[in-house]
Amino acid sequence: MNKLIKKIMSLFILAGVTYALYQNFSLMPEYQGLNEGLSSYIIESGLNDTGSLNLITAVLYDYRAFDSLGESTVIFGAVSGIVLILSRKMLPVSSKGLSFIVKRTLGIMTPFIALFGLYVITHGHLTPGGGFQGGVILAAISIIFSIVYGSAFDYRRYSPQTKTALETGGAMIFLGLGLAGIILEGAFLHNLGFLTAETGTLISAGSIPYINIGVGFKVGAGLAIIFYSMIQKTFEEDF
Amino acid sequence: MDIKILFLILVPLGTAFLIPFIDLINAKLRRFFVLLGILLESYLIISIIINNYQSLKSGDFFLQYYLGGWQPPIGISLAMDALSLVFAVITALSLFLIVIYSIGYIGHHEGKYYVLYFLIAAASMGAILTADMFNIYVFIEMLTITSGALIGFKRSQEASAAAIKYLIYNVLAGLLFFLGVLLIYFNLGTLNMADISQHFASLESGIQLFITAIFLTAILIKMGVFPFLFWLPKSYDTAPSPVTAVLSGVLSKVYLYIFIRIFWTVIGFKTLEALNLNILLLDLALFSSFLGHLFALQSDNIKRLLGYSSIGHIGMITAVIMLNTEAGFYGGILHIISHMFMKAGLFVACGYLLQYTRSHAYRDFKGVGIRNRSVFVAFIALLLSMIGMPPLLGFASKWYVLMAFLEARSYFGAFIVIFGSLTAVIYYLRYIAKGFEEIKLTEDDLKEEIYSRPLLSVLYREKIVSFITYAYTAIIIGFGLGFRFFDLPLRMSIESVMNVERYIELVLGG
Repeated sequence: MNKLIKKIMSLFILAGVTYALYQNFSLMPEYQGLNEGLSSYIIESGLNDTGSLNLITAVLYDYRAFDSLGESTVIFGAVSGIVLILSRKMLPVSSKGLSFIVKRTLGIMTPFIALFGLYVITHGHLTPGGGFQGGVILAAISIIFSIVYGSAFDYRRYSPQTKTALETGGAMIFLGLGLAGIILEGAFLHNLGFLTAETGTLISAGSIPYINIGVGFKVGAGLAIIFYSMIQKTFEEDF
Repeated sequence: MDIKILFLILVPLGTAFLIPFIDLINAKLRRFFVLLGILLESYLIISIIINNYQSLKSGDFFLQYYLGGWQPPIGISLAMDALSLVFAVITALSLFLIVIYSIGYIGHHEGKYYVLYFLIAAASMGAILTADMFNIYVFIEMLTITSGALIGFKRSQEASAAAIKYLIYNVLAGLLFFLGVLLIYFNLGTLNMADISQHFASLESGIQLFITAIFLTAILIKMGVFPFLFWLPKSYDTAPSPVTAVLSGVLSKVYLYIFIRIFWTVIGFKTLEALNLNILLLDLALFSSFLGHLFALQSDNIKRLLGYSSIGHIGMITAVIMLNTEAGFYGGILHIISHMFMKAGLFVACGYLLQYTRSHAYRDFKGVGIRNRSVFVAFIALLLSMIGMPPLLGFASKWYVLMAFLEARSYFGAFIVIFGSLTAVIYYLRYIAKGFEEIKLTEDDLKEEIYSRPLLSVLYREKIVSFITYAYTAIIIGFGLGFRFFDLPLRMSIESVMNVERYIELVLGG
């Protein structure tokens, strides 16, 4: 009886919320074309201003680079929080890994995955991609290792200290390039002029590729740290 | 272009990034490094005040910084007017006191604690200084994630439950805020606050209402006003004392600043009036205040009680600001300042007093005052200030709030102020009386004491902890006697809230 009342109550509340949302959304006017505003300016002169062929990267790491610094700091904070709450004293050796065939195949594939990750990071200003996306691919390698070769494999090679150093190193690269902007160009996170080169080559677009590399290491190491603190266990929990 | 306001954000951010490195080198250096960071921050604030003292007096204080060298409508800019200066100063002072307190209080997992603490410091400074809509969302997200992790600091079951509840509510609020930012960009094609403010009135009233409603819901959840207050007491209760002091002393005030900034500068109070939202919001906030005091009356747990009383006070501040009169802002901002110091001081004192008790419950409060007599006296002084005793800061601010309500002929508001003070007398006196009750230990009690759950916290450096409590009490008494000191900053900040055209002109043209 009590459960039934609860269900009916929550049904009523849901219906009320749905009605309110419907009313609100129906107030919205019909689509009348996007107000272009800033975007038209960026489409016209983004390439000239930044030297980056990928305009999304131009917005992320030049026009609004401070937002990207904030976003990557959110990841940094999330990693610190998860490590604070979840980290335990020991890492269970879950298994010896999967079968021989899988191990060999992954052994051949892993360098190419890493290469693809690095490609996505370094070509952020030329093709779709960038530091955040490439970093996730690098973190996936660490997770694959843990599943295929057993959880201790990756942990022994790259200790949490190394990963933390990589993560904070990425953050410091971002911050340092911003401070270099103050010294060389007069504004925080200003694109560094002396690094520009011919548009379309790998080393061009000022400091954007270097920021991408910093963010890539930070995100990759951060996500790997999150994964390894989530699979740790306490002594009391059964294995 | 004043680079100091940029470094107000970068110094805590850099400190947070460097702490893991320091940990790898030598963990003992960490404490000095933390102190260095917070002292640098205080130096920046003081030098900003001293360098601009003349323009502060003449009333044309304004600093701004273009990030990446892009002019406002294109890039992000930081702007500091008198209102942001007042909030930045009090936030920095609170953060300074609480970090010294944490050095005495936190005994384990210090590295991660300070990282998260300095990220909160950077994010609150950023949210206060920025003049860009999306950037403010980024900083709100940073505040949510880091404070959510700190609420779960104790790793117990209750702490995790409270942290998850906090995160669900607040991430939802952040999502709504993000939706509002998206809609603004979709319709106006700009993200700069001043630019939005110029063109917001030209939108259709349906879309205006939708955007306003979304922002309102998001910020009311963050502040803990009536329909969305249920996450607040639980998270205040389970978090360790310095974190609770940050939550109520810094975070809720930053959200109040964002509330003022968005609804006066960006959306504009005229829009709220045209949409008939101001009366509704005033009554909602007053009802929230009433409920907060009522819940506090039945609460059996000192930290939860203080949380409910926070709801009461924040509702009152929101209501008095919603009057949109000069007197309302004068009382409201003065009460923001005084509530910031009183509540943070109370939580700080709680952390000291409750160190030997088994829980935060009323029955365990027995004899606390006899054991630590001098800190308990400071605690009582802070409680009296919450009630509104004459020589203390709480009296001055409550008096101006009451006067503002009477001037605007909002008698329900005036009733709530008096009602809050009277109920506060009842629920605080209970605890003061319990604190002076003598404990007669029987053998069973002792056995239970030894064999039951472990103590909540054993302090690490007791002297520092009690010193910070006295510092808060001294602030309350000192400024209570000299509350006229706040006259100039309050008038400046009222001027900058009311004069929106000047803000737009300075941000876009400066």
